[in-house]
Amino acid sequence: MKTNEKSSKAWLVTVVLAALGLIGAEVVLYLSYYYTPVQITPGTLWVVTPDGGAPINLYESYRIFFIHLPSAYTTALCCTVCLVGGVMWLLTRKEKWEALTTAAAETGLFVGAIVLLTGTLWADYAWGSGRIGSGWNWEPRLTTMLILWLAFAALLVLRKSMDTPRQRSVMTAVYGILLGPMYPLVSKAVELGRTSHPRSFSDLLSAPEIATTKYLASIAVTIALASLVALRYQMNRLNQQIEQERAA
Amino acid sequence: MAESATTPSFVRAVGVLFAREIRVELRTKSLLTSMGLFALLCIVIVGLGVRGISSNETYHRFVLAMLWVCTMFAAVVGLNRSATADRRKDFFQALMLLPHDPALVYFVRLVSTLVFLLLTQAIMIVVSVPLLKLDFFDQPLMLLVVPLADLGVLAPGVLLSTGTSRVRGGEALLTIALLPVAVPVFLGATGVTDALQAGLGAQSAAPFLLLLGICCAMFTGLGLLLYGRLNEG
Repeated sequence: MKTNEKSSKAWLVTVVLAALGLIGAEVVLYLSYYYTPVQITPGTLWVVTPDGGAPINLYESYRIFFIHLPSAYTTALCCTVCLVGGVMWLLTRKEKWEALTTAAAETGLFVGAIVLLTGTLWADYAWGSGRIGSGWNWEPRLTTMLILWLAFAALLVLRKSMDTPRQRSVMTAVYGILLGPMYPLVSKAVELGRTSHPRSFSDLLSAPEIATTKYLASIAVTIALASLVALRYQMNRLNQQIEQERAA
Repeated sequence: MAESATTPSFVRAVGVLFAREIRVELRTKSLLTSMGLFALLCIVIVGLGVRGISSNETYHRFVLAMLWVCTMFAAVVGLNRSATADRRKDFFQALMLLPHDPALVYFVRLVSTLVFLLLTQAIMIVVSVPLLKLDFFDQPLMLLVVPLADLGVLAPGVLLSTGTSRVRGGEALLTIALLPVAVPVFLGATGVTDALQAGLGAQSAAPFLLLLGICCAMFTGLGLLLYGRLNEG
């Protein structure tokens, strides 16, 4: 009875988060097209190319940042949740932490794909030939993000390959801990190699409308993806219960 | 009191376990043979692949990067061989019964695999000089970078191989699990090599060297902490 109550509360939280996230996403979509400026002031929306060539105008391509940047923040959050979930499982041995680590890795895989896709499209346009189709450019931050994305995938493959639930839980926790410190590498990648990745969003886009939209987008996307983590967490908990009942 | 009388000291236990690793290798010769042969085959394939490169700088950069790739995969081959053999002969259970922290077993496995990998690299270097026309001896900093990079790859490798050796197809699984985690190490190692090869000096290589150092310290620390947990149950 108590478990059922807990479960329905968790589902309610998931649904509320999803609804808030969707409303937020709609608002941000509206703001990014009707509130942020179309007129580009020379100097504010200009970036240099990786080869140090003449600065180029971003035109309207900067609007992709309102998806790209919050998704990158959420990937960092997923990394942190993997680390916390792994540590907590090792300390408490409670299955809920394994379910949380897995949910964070699954969501990280999804959000990481959004970061990679939007980043590649933008970099391709801005640093390539000004049109889509010049290919992957091995920009350090994007490349380290690809590695992190592969690590999320590796965690899921690794846990699926384990023979017993116990082995699966241990490997998920250990790999979650190993994966955790990888985000600082993505964050610091701009300092390692030759890169023209914007170091700070506010340096590049100083218009107040853009800053407001960016903050709202960060909140909305984080809420939407928190609902995704919550949903996957519920699913993983259900799978654990089914597995236990089958074993009994 | 009785426990201290029967429990060997830490240093003695390390010595015994390390001697055991060396003795097993001297008898079976499985690790050095498989890692060495794998590295030699890689060098031959790299040599065949780079025949058409005319630019001297491109050739050197490409070959050095490929040698790092060979090292990484040789390490995976070695880790797989050693973990699978121990698991098959139930050595793991015996090692876990030692009256010491399991971190000791991890430490000895890490050091012994590092020694075998360094020996394999020595063979690789000796063979690469005439085959790939490389000169490794003009960069003394590489004497620090190579063991550091090896440690950075092996520290998570020893940990993960313990888990993957339990399942069927664990050899492929170790590669999938280890490579994303070890990429920062590879990034640091190739960064230093690249900076030295381009003649930029130690100052340009410093951030990459720092990355290598951080990775080594972090992965070794995590390995020492988590090895016992991974082998429970």
